[in-house]
Amino acid sequence: MNSKQHNKSQDQDTEKLKEIPKWVRKYAQNRTLTIIVLMAMICLFSMFVAALVGFLLALAIAGFKKGNMILGCVGIAVSVAVLATISIFLIIIFSKFGGKNRGLLDQRIDKWIYRKEGTATVPVPKSSKKKICLEILSGVIFFICIFASWHLAIKGYIAYKYLQPVSALYIVPFVVCGWYFWKSPRMGPIYLLYPILYAGHAILIVAGVPIFFTTENFCIFSICLPMLGYGFLPFIIGHIYSRYALKKLKGITHLEGDTANGD
Amino acid sequence: MEIDKIIHEPARLRIMMILSGVEQADFNFLLTTLGLTRGNLSRHVEKLESAGYLKVKKSFKGKVPNTGYELTQKGSRALTQYWEDVDAIRQLGQSL
Repeated sequence: MNSKQHNKSQDQDTEKLKEIPKWVRKYAQNRTLTIIVLMAMICLFSMFVAALVGFLLALAIAGFKKGNMILGCVGIAVSVAVLATISIFLIIIFSKFGGKNRGLLDQRIDKWIYRKEGTATVPVPKSSKKKICLEILSGVIFFICIFASWHLAIKGYIAYKYLQPVSALYIVPFVVCGWYFWKSPRMGPIYLLYPILYAGHAILIVAGVPIFFTTENFCIFSICLPMLGYGFLPFIIGHIYSRYALKKLKGITHLEGDTANGD
Repeated sequence: MEIDKIIHEPARLRIMMILSGVEQADFNFLLTTLGLTRGNLSRHVEKLESAGYLKVKKSFKGKVPNTGYELTQKGSRALTQYWEDVDAIRQLGQSL
């Protein structure tokens, strides 16, 4: 190798080294497996509660309808007991991981999942009382909007077909603003895939693609399913991207032999 | 023009570059990313710490102790200066 070629390869190495902060930031921003696990835990728990209480109530109603008062009363009593147990369980969970310990559960899951790789964090946006109040207020408004549009659809003011496109009018700005004010730079721009997909879903419905529910009982799923589905997707893509970023990072930083052990 | 010898060592340069991209990284992360031995990494980190380029943050994650590292303002300035010096030398080399 002549000196020019040697200089060129050294220049390339130097430029590669300058990319380290970029890749380490991308890796840290996309460590989303913890969020996926938390979301899956909440979903499974909600489904379990809904199935259990739903089954017990259905049993009680069937008992009352058939005149079997014992079955009806037992069904109601067990439902109440189950709800009480769940409430106690939630109180214990919130007392252990809420308030001052907020974020401890995420931290523990994170440590368990990424125990082999260690931790790298990007700055978390500074929290203030004003910010927390605004967060709670916007969350309340968000849920009021969802329930209002659902109610309007049931009452016939919004066609079932347009329930999801109408919801996109407030969900998309809410998610974009939420990312900009609360999540960035903790989460990378990959999170913006969520509002993009949600808006795309709405556009497809308006264009005539039948990807919505048409019955009163299920119309809320026109909002819930895309919300959950598209909610998971950016985090899964984020996780895959974090693997890629880590591989790139290790490719630049990994030291071997004398370089690793020398001073 | 003199290159900062503390930063110029390959492992220490990489540690500084990693820390410049994030708010904090722990010992385990640096260990797996750099592929160094524990003792070696400790030694490099100590040198950077004694130069005032990074600060150590000891905390507990639940009941397990955790050591995190953060780049100081002095470290950040030194790293910027280091790259400016390296680029200047490279340009000088190209012009010759």
